[in-house]
Amino acid sequence: MKSTIQTLLAVVALVALTAVTASAQATATQSLNVNASVNSRAKLTLGAAAINFADADPDVSPTLTAAALSVDVKARTSAGASVTVTVLADGNLVSGSDNIGIANLTWTAGGAGFVAGTMNATVAQSLAGLTGSGDYSGTQTYSLVNSWSYATGSYTATITYTLSVP
Amino acid sequence: MLQVRFPLPLLAILLLAAPAATAQQSLTATLTADIGVLGKITVSALTLTFPDADPDAVPLVPAAGGPLTIVAKARSGLGSTVTLTVATPDDLRSGTDVIPASALSWTASGPGFASGTLASGVARTLGAWTGSGARTGTQTWFLANSWAYASGMYSLTLTYTLTVP
Repeated sequence: MKSTIQTLLAVVALVALTAVTASAQATATQSLNVNASVNSRAKLTLGAAAINFADADPDVSPTLTAAALSVDVKARTSAGASVTVTVLADGNLVSGSDNIGIANLTWTAGGAGFVAGTMNATVAQSLAGLTGSGDYSGTQTYSLVNSWSYATGSYTATITYTLSVP
Repeated sequence: MLQVRFPLPLLAILLLAAPAATAQQSLTATLTADIGVLGKITVSALTLTFPDADPDAVPLVPAAGGPLTIVAKARSGLGSTVTLTVATPDDLRSGTDVIPASALSWTASGPGFASGTLASGVARTLGAWTGSGARTGTQTWFLANSWAYASGMYSLTLTYTLTVP
């Protein structure tokens, strides 16, 4: 019996020694490092793949005007970096052996950062000058000088739009 | 009348040698075990990485590596509310460029775990339970993608805090 009591007391003492001291509140924390890569990107979207000018009397319509073309520019770059959109024609407007000088093609522009200009087949012309990352929208409305001197025909030219994001 | 007399030492020996039925004794002992308040949080990774992606194609970028496994172990008072929060003191930063911490959000699975959106300087609840127990859940992080972000490598530190009252 004495042995039993001693054993019991020993167990009590052991439990008391190994028990965790109670406190009012416990907190546990762990840290997690977060890294996110944001690279430079560029995306250019035109509202149409073709621009058409309808025939008109040069006296009545000395300038032919096409429907406004929407230009959507999406750029991701470093803060303060210059984002540019340029246009460049592949040559004059051509119909067989006839041509209309590409400088007769001009445009007006709408939207912050978008500028008016005159087409060139040698040097890319600025359509938009923007700063930093963002989703920018503008419009470009082409006009073609009309003239009695043009030979009849269906003239075409290809214009290349280039978005540059450093 | 016959009387049998034993010397006292001999009487003591006889009493000790008596059958158990006649030597019963009851004793009590109090057993005390202090079970303290305790909390332990384990997150399956130490780093969360978001790869670059096209904002139009991937408006919400999931973290590489998939969901995190979260294990929250708590020993608390009966009926006490155990909470697990996620906090960051700052936004995502790359030099002077900033992506707000609120661009980070998560979905969660597991009993007691909840989805949420991060905010700098504010602890957001990831889990809440009642009483003691070991709880396991998953947390999948997303970064809201945008063309407006300046390019760079952004970082911040998250702190998971398990509070056991």
